[in-house]
Amino acid sequence: MPKADILVDKCTGCRLCEGVCSARLVGNFDSARSAVYVESLLPENIVIRPFMCVHCEEHPCVDSCPVAAIEKSEELDVYVVNKSLCTGCGACVQACPYRGIRLDPVSQLAIKCDFCKGQPRCVDVCPFKVIQIIG
Amino acid sequence: MVYGYVGKILRADLTSGRISTEPTNMNWAKMFLGGKGLGAKYLFEESKPKTDAFAPENILIFMTGPLTGTIAPCTPKHVVITKSPLTGTFLDSYAGGYFGAELKFAGFDAIILKGRAKQPVYLYVKDGQAQIKSAENLWGKDTHETEKLVKEELGDKEVKVASIGPAGENLVKYSCITNDFYRQSGRGGAGAVMGSKNLKALAVRGTQGVSVPNIDEFVELSKEIVKKDVVGNPDNEWVIVDGSPAIVRMSQEAGMLPTKNFQSGTFEDVDKIDAKAIKEVLVRRRSCYSCPMACGNITQIKEGPFAGTLLEGPDYETLALSGSNCLISDLGAIAKFNLLCDKLGIDTITAGNAIAFAMECYEKGIITKEDTGGLELSFGNTDAYIEMPRLIAFRKAIGNILAEGVRVASQRIGHGSQSFAVHAKGLEYPAYDPRGSFGMALAFATSDRGACHLRAWPAASDAFGKLNPFTTEGKAQLVIDDQNKYAAKWSLIVCDFYAIGYGNIARLFSAATGWNVSEDDMKLIGERIWNLVRLYNLREGLTRKDDTVPERISKDPMLDGKAKGRTVTLEDFGKMLDEYYQLRGWDKDGRPTKEKMAQLNLTMS
Repeated sequence: MPKADILVDKCTGCRLCEGVCSARLVGNFDSARSAVYVESLLPENIVIRPFMCVHCEEHPCVDSCPVAAIEKSEELDVYVVNKSLCTGCGACVQACPYRGIRLDPVSQLAIKCDFCKGQPRCVDVCPFKVIQIIG
Repeated sequence: MVYGYVGKILRADLTSGRISTEPTNMNWAKMFLGGKGLGAKYLFEESKPKTDAFAPENILIFMTGPLTGTIAPCTPKHVVITKSPLTGTFLDSYAGGYFGAELKFAGFDAIILKGRAKQPVYLYVKDGQAQIKSAENLWGKDTHETEKLVKEELGDKEVKVASIGPAGENLVKYSCITNDFYRQSGRGGAGAVMGSKNLKALAVRGTQGVSVPNIDEFVELSKEIVKKDVVGNPDNEWVIVDGSPAIVRMSQEAGMLPTKNFQSGTFEDVDKIDAKAIKEVLVRRRSCYSCPMACGNITQIKEGPFAGTLLEGPDYETLALSGSNCLISDLGAIAKFNLLCDKLGIDTITAGNAIAFAMECYEKGIITKEDTGGLELSFGNTDAYIEMPRLIAFRKAIGNILAEGVRVASQRIGHGSQSFAVHAKGLEYPAYDPRGSFGMALAFATSDRGACHLRAWPAASDAFGKLNPFTTEGKAQLVIDDQNKYAAKWSLIVCDFYAIGYGNIARLFSAATGWNVSEDDMKLIGERIWNLVRLYNLREGLTRKDDTVPERISKDPMLDGKAKGRTVTLEDFGKMLDEYYQLRGWDKDGRPTKEKMAQLNLTMS
């Protein structure tokens, strides 16, 4: 199963990843509704880094979901959110140690990366090669 | 369906507390785009002539452009538009960061403020709604504290904040507005206009997004432009490698690095403040929204009395005007000064000029320790220099006079000091001495908001290019071409550091809005915007005599460097200005002719 590796020190905070991700997920440029999101904490401590599903082996999000809405897609070889089952309870958000899954503020349903069904757009658009796919 | 724009404007009258929303005027958007142009149109139509900048009636506009919030490269900026308290002219002051994109996501193309709150307030905007909230507990706080406190109070660390510091509250005429901690609407005193309205901050947040007609095509177009014209364009390489500090060396070699209040064009200690020096203290690079170049340098001073100082910057203008122009070579001191100015809310370009001006007054005996509050305010004295931002922000001792900018300060101080007050229309010079690039003399003199390097930059073609820098010939057309193109660029809004041409301006605008706009259309729109702003300034009472060069440049020969011995004489300058007016289709007094206004569809009813 492929995984994401995030080279946090290389991120400059341009947030182009959010733009292309939201373009695919919701059809417009809407950073708040992207599956990948950049946090930039300033001014005394400099933290600039993206958060997204890294597609970990342990998948606590899957285990935490009370309605089994996060399913393995055999076709894509990653876990995806089944929107027709998700109730937006947020248990997965609490469970994920990577802060890789969050609730869409409009639909109130869980959103997570599915590697764009094979060709991750954030990887392609990132000018600094912060997001890498392994495996 | 509106594309590119989000189609709504938020209005807040701080006197009555009334908040309203209305559709963005799309007829105006077609004629004036967004940003500078659309903001200028609203300011022109909604202001009475000769409104005082600090009057409640002076409107204050936070405007975005049709590309803001999209992934079009280098389009993070919003612009603050108002009448300037420093110059009495039109003012457009841009800032990067994330605030502009978030304002669009919150559902508005612009916020238009007027009136004056009885008590300090801030405006909170979220997803199409707005409320005026008390800022009693924020008043007196610096911009960093304010931003942190607003985020805390709203319980949202992702809210984007633009705020003023004590300088804006104290109506320092060149107070800036800071957003995202390290980004400023720097020039011309928009922060003081906020202060005059008792408006401490704006906080914006939203989830509404920006739509374009065909999002997949738009993404592909943006990626193609990044590849071929931004990251792949050698003209932008210095931005990617060093950011603005690259210009320190370029200016030094061209003999136009402001040094000792523009007495000299080269700085002995240039190696202490150049891009290489910045690299040694670099922590990491930082981008604004949608920018693949990341020109921002987050730095931390490692040793000396200012060890530990951490900030984004200093940028070229600060290194030059707050560095070499004050004969300060300690990068730590410049960084600390920069941080103080950011937090107190002062423009470092004007502050550097004002302090260098005061240092020259002090060395000439025009002012003494009695005026400076005991400070030995000589060139290069770091101890005195580092005290100055506070004196200015709180209007203490000489700071109270310097808070007015060098034009008014020199009038009050007198004793011949006007001959070395370096400004155009009251806005202090940026860091390109025109004696090393004669075209810059015209660029500064005819710039709409006073001396600005971002309205035309002929130095790229003469001092840093192939043309002869020491002649006025051919420069008028160069300045006009830049001004028109930049007017369009500042209306989309595309960052100055991406050297975009009309072709991609037109392609991106058309792809974002779904309107079919050609390169030629864009050229006409750029010229129209420049002329509209000229009409505003004329209405405010400006005349040909305001389009001029200061005595330091016209009379004092440059002391050393490549431009040694040069002046831009008033005679040469006058000829260049005549040519400029003529090529613009303006009369001898610099007024657009009826024919020109008709050609640009600017004839006012």
